[in-house]
Amino acid sequence: MSLKDDFPILSREVNGHPLVYLDNAATTQKPQVVIDAMSQYYSNSNANVHRAVHTLAGEATEGYEDCRRWIKSWFNAEKAILTGGTTEAINLVAHGWGRANLQAGDAIVLTEMEHHSDIVPWQILSEERGIEIRYVPVLDDFTLDMEAYIASLENAKLVCVVHTSNVLGVRNPVDELISLAHKAGAKILIDAAQAVPHDRIDFEQFNADFMAFSAHKMCGPTGIGALLVKNDAFEQMQPFMGGGDMIESVTTSGSTYQKNEHKFEAGTPKIAEAVGWSAAFDWMSKIDLPAHHERLLNIAKWTAEQLRGLGFTVYGRHQSGDGAVVSFLHPTIHSEDFARFLDAKGFAVRTGHHCAQPLLNRLGITGTIRASFYLYNTQDEAEKFIQIVQYIVEKFA
Amino acid sequence: MKYPQALQELIDEFSFIDDKMEILEYVYELSEEVVEFPIANWSEKTRIIGCQSEAHLEVVVKDGIVELRCGADSKIVQGMMGLVTIAINGRTAEDVLQLKPDFAQEMGILNSLSPSRSNGFRNLFDKVMLEIRIKQ
Ligand SMILES: Cc1ncc(COP(=O)(O)O)c(C=O)c1O
Repeated sequence: MSLKDDFPILSREVNGHPLVYLDNAATTQKPQVVIDAMSQYYSNSNANVHRAVHTLAGEATEGYEDCRRWIKSWFNAEKAILTGGTTEAINLVAHGWGRANLQAGDAIVLTEMEHHSDIVPWQILSEERGIEIRYVPVLDDFTLDMEAYIASLENAKLVCVVHTSNVLGVRNPVDELISLAHKAGAKILIDAAQAVPHDRIDFEQFNADFMAFSAHKMCGPTGIGALLVKNDAFEQMQPFMGGGDMIESVTTSGSTYQKNEHKFEAGTPKIAEAVGWSAAFDWMSKIDLPAHHERLLNIAKWTAEQLRGLGFTVYGRHQSGDGAVVSFLHPTIHSEDFARFLDAKGFAVRTGHHCAQPLLNRLGITGTIRASFYLYNTQDEAEKFIQIVQYIVEKFA
Repeated sequence: MKYPQALQELIDEFSFIDDKMEILEYVYELSEEVVEFPIANWSEKTRIIGCQSEAHLEVVVKDGIVELRCGADSKIVQGMMGLVTIAINGRTAEDVLQLKPDFAQEMGILNSLSPSRSNGFRNLFDKVMLEIRIKQ
């Protein structure tokens, strides 16, 4: 039995060809057990959480809180706030921690490599509060300028940096970034959206103050993610959304809040999604992630070499620890035409700016074609991919 | 609806192709059919919004006769423009304004292109019609 058999969507055809899904950095496919768990939840246990004493409410609450237990044990974290995804998790830091702890004149450090979801929330806060944003440049070898990083830390209150770039696949030297930030007295948020699918990070040991990620990039459902927070940073956070579930008591003269993660989970939460995510963790716990990551990185590296040989520019380096992502451009064939031809043959790839326009500006381009590999992809698929690419180049270049 | 002859012929030809790669290759070739619109004249005003690629057009109505000039950095997008060119150039503005965008669907082109590109076609078509109405 191959891993593929666990994913019903991977047996479908696209335009008369077997689907080869290479858009995993955007979202991964879901194993049957995740789909079943969500369907089972709605068929059997659907109720609101934390609110009633009836049996269904108890099952729904258990299902939802079970996901938090999975996250805390998977990542060895003390506090896990369930959010709508990476984007919402970062916005929660901006509004929940940033508003309470940053004032006019304070500086925060971002990098040119960030996804828009780790830029725009800070720009909004910066405009509102008069906070200075410093951007760490990306060098020609696609790595961060560490000298500039160290210089930018002076009097900085917060650093927000992507663990693994969704465009380049480059894994930043996160351990060093974290210890340098702390040495300078700054807190640090890691955007781990592209890291957690491949790397089972130990949050305590990792020592970042905040870490944001999404379920849908690691075989879980869309619409749910998490923010891991260190206890002392957690104590410095103020609620940013008010509503039901997050309060202790409400009177017309004021309210008191819950002390735990619920304080930041106002309203009816993502219950079915949490149940689905738990099933994804359970499924992934039976997979040898490091072995797969090495295998996929080798496939990405092989693909990158082939593409270079065919005259493409490849943006990335595919070193140990990097994401299994290949971003590339042809000198004459437009990336969208390429993606359309590939789609005609059943291959799903992404084109465009990948929500990282500052990075693409830095690279002097407006978009790339991106093939990203995950657990169910194989070397055989990469070889077929290169065959089609070669056909397109021969025909249209 | 009855289409002008050149367009009807294209629709008939497309109806014989069911391989998506072939459809795209055909659309790609239609990029040759556009009347050139030099890049130097491209501006925010000539830009087709909703296209992920850079796509620009200008419509000239002279003595009631329509001429579309256009170009795009994606050849497939420019191929769609070639298709519209075949459908409208040299015809009266009055005639052209009767045209509905459904022909692209009939040709299997909208189905064969992603939603954002289909939107792109729709935006292309609507912009052409709007320009004709203004300049008529
Ligand atoms: C590096 C990175 N950060 C943030 C995000 C945003 O994730 P989401 O859309 O799930 O909130 C993504 C996903 O595209 C990403 O790749």
